[in-house]
Amino acid sequence: MTAPLLETHDLVKDYVIGGEVLHAVNGVSLTIKRGEFVAIMGASGSGKSTFMNMIGCLDIPTSGTLLLDGIDTKTLDSDELAEIRNRKIGFVFQQFNLLARTSALDNVAVPLIYAGLGYTERRERAQAKLEAMGLGNRLQNTPAKLSGGQQQRVAIARALVTDPLMLLADEPTGALDTQTSLDIMGLFQKLNDEGITLIVVTHEPDIAEYAERRIVFRDGQVIEDAAVKSRRRAVAG
Amino acid sequence: MNNLLNSIAGWGVNIAIAMTALRTNLMRSILTTLGVMIGVFSVILAVAVGNGAQVSVTQQIATLGSNMAIVVPQPDSGSGPPRSSDRGRLTERDGRAILRQVSGVSAVAPQIRSSVQLVTPGRSATTQATGATPEYGVVSNITASEGRFLTDGDVGAAARVVVIGQTVSDKLFADANPVGETVRINRVPFKVIGLLESKGSNLGNDNDDQIVVPITTLRQRLQTTAMQGPDDVTLLFVGFEDEDALLAGQQEIKRMLRDRYRVPKGRINPFTVRTTTEIAETTGQVTQIFQAVLVAIASISLLVGGIGIMNIMLVSVTERTREIGLRMALGAKRSDIRNQFLVEAAVLCVIGGAIGLTLAVVAAAIFQKVADFPAPVGLDTALMSVAFSAVIGILFGGYPAIRASRLSPIEALRSE
Repeated sequence: MTAPLLETHDLVKDYVIGGEVLHAVNGVSLTIKRGEFVAIMGASGSGKSTFMNMIGCLDIPTSGTLLLDGIDTKTLDSDELAEIRNRKIGFVFQQFNLLARTSALDNVAVPLIYAGLGYTERRERAQAKLEAMGLGNRLQNTPAKLSGGQQQRVAIARALVTDPLMLLADEPTGALDTQTSLDIMGLFQKLNDEGITLIVVTHEPDIAEYAERRIVFRDGQVIEDAAVKSRRRAVAG
Repeated sequence: MNNLLNSIAGWGVNIAIAMTALRTNLMRSILTTLGVMIGVFSVILAVAVGNGAQVSVTQQIATLGSNMAIVVPQPDSGSGPPRSSDRGRLTERDGRAILRQVSGVSAVAPQIRSSVQLVTPGRSATTQATGATPEYGVVSNITASEGRFLTDGDVGAAARVVVIGQTVSDKLFADANPVGETVRINRVPFKVIGLLESKGSNLGNDNDDQIVVPITTLRQRLQTTAMQGPDDVTLLFVGFEDEDALLAGQQEIKRMLRDRYRVPKGRINPFTVRTTTEIAETTGQVTQIFQAVLVAIASISLLVGGIGIMNIMLVSVTERTREIGLRMALGAKRSDIRNQFLVEAAVLCVIGGAIGLTLAVVAAAIFQKVADFPAPVGLDTALMSVAFSAVIGILFGGYPAIRASRLSPIEALRSE
């Protein structure tokens, strides 16, 4: 298992809008190793989110190659892609995307339904992840009864519940206040220390400084890819 | 085995998700279910009433007596348009000739029918009188439950005796035993000698609303419409030994009557010979058409209910596009999404079907009581309704479900 976690070669994503071809991602080649904490930056429309969606197997590249854990995603059908999303990738969204009127516990258990686990095991594993996120006393709360930070922690617990290889977070702090944002980044650092690969898309330079590597997108291409010089450390909350 | 268990558990999860979604929009779910409910209700009730009509007709035919031919002096409409000049005659002599010459005939019952008025002190009733011979009882399976039926002696003496039906007895004598009492029929006093065994009613036709008197007595004392000869009858019942004899005998009777009345070749028969088998078939066909029409009309409401399901499922898919995208991001396969919405539609339909079935059973029972008309809801009807609702769910939930499963994960996630 020495293959890099993620490898792209000349990755391209085109959109046709009003008869004109828009190169949202225009030839990106990069490698992300296991255990890295990467921040992807760029203005809106730079292609960072499109790139993120492709490596998350939510969107299909127009051309180029994407190797995930050594597997060429071009060879996979929609069911196999669904399985990769389920087993190898955890998603964290800006708007949390929790199911309304559904308890924290049931929200976290959703990916385990599609992993084919039985009811008891689903509940046990979901509960363990929520407890690890410090939400052991909020298991039955619905999203409406949780703060923004708590909701994002539920979402992170959900992303981690299938023990994926990497966590993809799209603007995870975009809807949170400064202190909560710092807490979440601290949590990410702690998870990264425990071995999980993290890829965070953000447009905030401060947030990017919690990562160890920064990739900057502009006009669908990578214009900067370097280690973060003065990396910030936060105490996990 | 493990796979099977897993897939059952998977459906269980889908049912749980569906129930949550349906509870979330409770009012909408109830209204949608109402459509299917009314549809299933009307289809089952239509089937039940149709079945009831068939049962009723079968009973009606059975009360006529089996293996019997009915001869009436009316042109056979099957062989051309009837003309009044074609109207023939029928006499007791013809009946005796049929008994003698046609093989397989067990009995011939000549009858004259006439409308009469019956009066007892303080009460009266109008009914149909059949002037008959003892053979009438044999051929049509009629017996007296109290007293006795007609005898040859009654007929020979033109006795003023009458056997009355249960309904007539109720009208004239209430709960009292009518046997031995006197009743005036068209002002002529008659002695009640028997009470006809009850044959119930079919399709609103009361078989107990009739009286039987000797044919000779009716001819002498009660007849109101003039006949062409002293021997003429309204109709003949011809009883046969078995069904084969009946089929052969029907043609033989026609040939014989043509000869007796010297009907020229090419002229249509001035009489009609119908068998109980034919009558059963014809009425059976009529009731089948009746049932088909009923079910067809009822099916329209089920179709409308199904369209309601499809409509609401399409709305549900649109509303929950983001949820679909999220579920896909979390690892749901297309089939998972499709099944989720299929189950949701099926749950709506099955609940509607179950309520519709229950209401239909209750309504059929009430109908049976109030209208005195059988409307049986059998196990087959119940199973059919369950299958019906499931098919409606799959049919009308299928399109929205497949549409949901075809969404691209990222586009679904991005939708607001």
